[in-house]
Amino acid sequence: MAEVLTSMKRFEPALILTGATLLVVLVDATGVRWRDGAGRILTIAGLLLALVRSVELRDVSAEIFGGMAVVDPLGSFFQALLIAASLLVVLAFTFRNSRELHGQGQGEFYALLLAVTLSNVLLATANDLAMLYLALEMVSITSYVMVAYMKGDRMSNEASLKYILFGAVSTGAMLYGLSLLYGLTGTTSLPAIRDFLAAGLVDSNRLAIYAIALLIFSGFGFKTATVPFHFWCPDVYQGAPTPVTAFLSVAPKAAGFAIMIRFFYAGLAAPRTGPWDLAGTIDWVHVLMIISVLSMTVGNVAALTQTNMKRLLAYSSIAHAGYIMMGVVALSQNGARALMIYLLAYLVMNLGAFLVVTLIHLHDGTFDLRDYPGLYRRSPFLTVAMAVFLLSLMGIPPLVGFMGKLYVFAAVVERGRSYYGYAAVGAVNAAIAAYYYARVLKTMVMDNPPAEKPPFRLAFADATWVSILLLGNVLPLLWWARIDGWARSSLSLYAGQ
Amino acid sequence: MITLQHYLIVSAALFSLGMLGILTRRNAVNVLMGVELVLNSANLNLVAFSRFGSGNLQGQLFAVFVIVIAAAEVAVALAIVLTLYRLRRTSNLDAADILRG
Amino acid sequence: MNAEAAVFYVFGAITVLSAAVVVLARSLIYSAFALLFTFFGVAGLYVLLGADFLAATQLLIYVGGILVLLLFGVMLTHKLYDLDLRSEVTQFLAGIIVASGLFVIVIFVAVRTQWATGPGRPPSVTTAEVGRLFMGQYLLPFEAASILLLVALMGAAMIVRRRRDA
Repeated sequence: MAEVLTSMKRFEPALILTGATLLVVLVDATGVRWRDGAGRILTIAGLLLALVRSVELRDVSAEIFGGMAVVDPLGSFFQALLIAASLLVVLAFTFRNSRELHGQGQGEFYALLLAVTLSNVLLATANDLAMLYLALEMVSITSYVMVAYMKGDRMSNEASLKYILFGAVSTGAMLYGLSLLYGLTGTTSLPAIRDFLAAGLVDSNRLAIYAIALLIFSGFGFKTATVPFHFWCPDVYQGAPTPVTAFLSVAPKAAGFAIMIRFFYAGLAAPRTGPWDLAGTIDWVHVLMIISVLSMTVGNVAALTQTNMKRLLAYSSIAHAGYIMMGVVALSQNGARALMIYLLAYLVMNLGAFLVVTLIHLHDGTFDLRDYPGLYRRSPFLTVAMAVFLLSLMGIPPLVGFMGKLYVFAAVVERGRSYYGYAAVGAVNAAIAAYYYARVLKTMVMDNPPAEKPPFRLAFADATWVSILLLGNVLPLLWWARIDGWARSSLSLYAGQ
Repeated sequence: MITLQHYLIVSAALFSLGMLGILTRRNAVNVLMGVELVLNSANLNLVAFSRFGSGNLQGQLFAVFVIVIAAAEVAVALAIVLTLYRLRRTSNLDAADILRG
Repeated sequence: MNAEAAVFYVFGAITVLSAAVVVLARSLIYSAFALLFTFFGVAGLYVLLGADFLAATQLLIYVGGILVLLLFGVMLTHKLYDLDLRSEVTQFLAGIIVASGLFVIVIFVAVRTQWATGPGRPPSVTTAEVGRLFMGQYLLPFEAASILLLVALMGAAMIVRRRRDA
């Protein structure tokens, strides 16, 4: 009983999110006229409170709830990142500025968003295979519902159908892998699995470990949208309401990477010298490297020919998952830090790009790049903002996207000569990506519109949030030492007694 | 004498049959049935390992959660399939073909 | 062959054969009914493995809940009066090749690997112990699962409800 009480105190962010979810459901069920506004306020307040608590708890490192979850600096970093992602989505994307959400019920949307956030937090702090699988499925199931949010819309329905079938299969395969891992090690607790594997592996078990790793990766690959588990991604991103797409492209991806590093660092790979230097039970580097290279290449090459902006950003997000994987491939302390920095940068640049796409859809009702010419003259502000977000995604200094790329490439290169080829592939990919991001900009600025359209009238709130995200791509460089320090001090996993 | 391997072979057969159903069926409900076979095979593994291996209950409890999650997933999936049927009058996956590129 | 082995082979055969029917049957209704036998077979294997609580859960939730849901799915998405319940099969050869490849690999892993050994768990009543664990060590996933069920039910209801203005 005492253990449960201490655990609850250390798990306050998740409890706050749970409470907020239930309150929003209740308020929505009352059917009063002010329920939509109240739901929004409750959501924002709950997220803010949870964010503050998760930052305050950053120095604690312990197992909670009988080892089912952990609180540690790494977990706190990801909690803060995930809650901030939800907060930005609620604030920047509203039922007013998203044309697709017009006329849909609001209370359920906020309740679902809070529930996904809660599941993301659970996933980032899971310390047991059962908890890991449960949290992963919670994230997935709540996301399926969010994708299907536009009732009666064929694209939304089709996207959610593809999402749920693909998700059910990949998480099913993952579950089979988890069951074999339990059989191999006799335990479901991640630290205990690590201890078991660190003691050494019989040669005849090597095949089993490879099979287990591949099966389990199908679940992680699905959550992070890495090749070859990316097939759902373009269709789902295109069919889902844009605020949901924006949210899915950052939050569950970050949660997927959070559990991936926790699983690899705290579970599967045995440390050699320090806690973050991994020799591994098997040759992880090459397996992960192939996945990373494939993700970048497939994502970037497919993005070249897209004309639907949501689809283009979907392929771009697959490619970015490939770059983020570079941090995992490095299997070092700097690699993990690079991954965290990249995810922070990705949050502001990708949400920004999706916000501009949503606002253009609000005014012109189109996601098609072929309708973008002339935007520069109609709204210079929006065009400049989009330019900054795309340049940041490209990795041009002095924007945060550049810092993300700098960190991942540095982490890979410092691992030695055998990684140079891999880094070169990454660099070539960044060049390909620059081409299609630049194509969007060229269309907006230089192409001539077929017909004159009325000038843009941007609502004050929308302009404010575009500006905030815009500054989010530039200003962090002024306090870079602090951000770097925060990521560095978060590099501490709870690793068992 | 029935050993762990006997159960693992049954579970392997269930897993492969489930995957076969997923890969070859064109009806969404049928694909879901394949997924259920895969989940059952994993559960069988968990329980068998719990019985013959370490002897702790972790595997069995994991399996209980899997069953609960499967129920939630099927509920949402069928809601989506019903909507597909309402929009297209079919639950065949070939009808889901607007999103391409 | 002792009694345990006989029971195992009976339940094992029921499970695998009915699973094959699920996958290969032409009619969705046949698949759904074959799935009933698969779930029963697996529940029988659970009893044989000494997991009594889990066997009961399997029957209650899988047979009583999930299977009924799937049957609803079949009935609601097909016009029963013209009996068009056939489910098409595509890429059968490719599917067979991939699935048998998987089967070989998984069998190889199952037989070759030295799985964790321990005292094992002789069949005994588990319900009390399971209940204690749910309220103790597994409290967090237990509560999280309740949130999941709430959200899933809310979501499913939301998805099928027609739009107010439509």
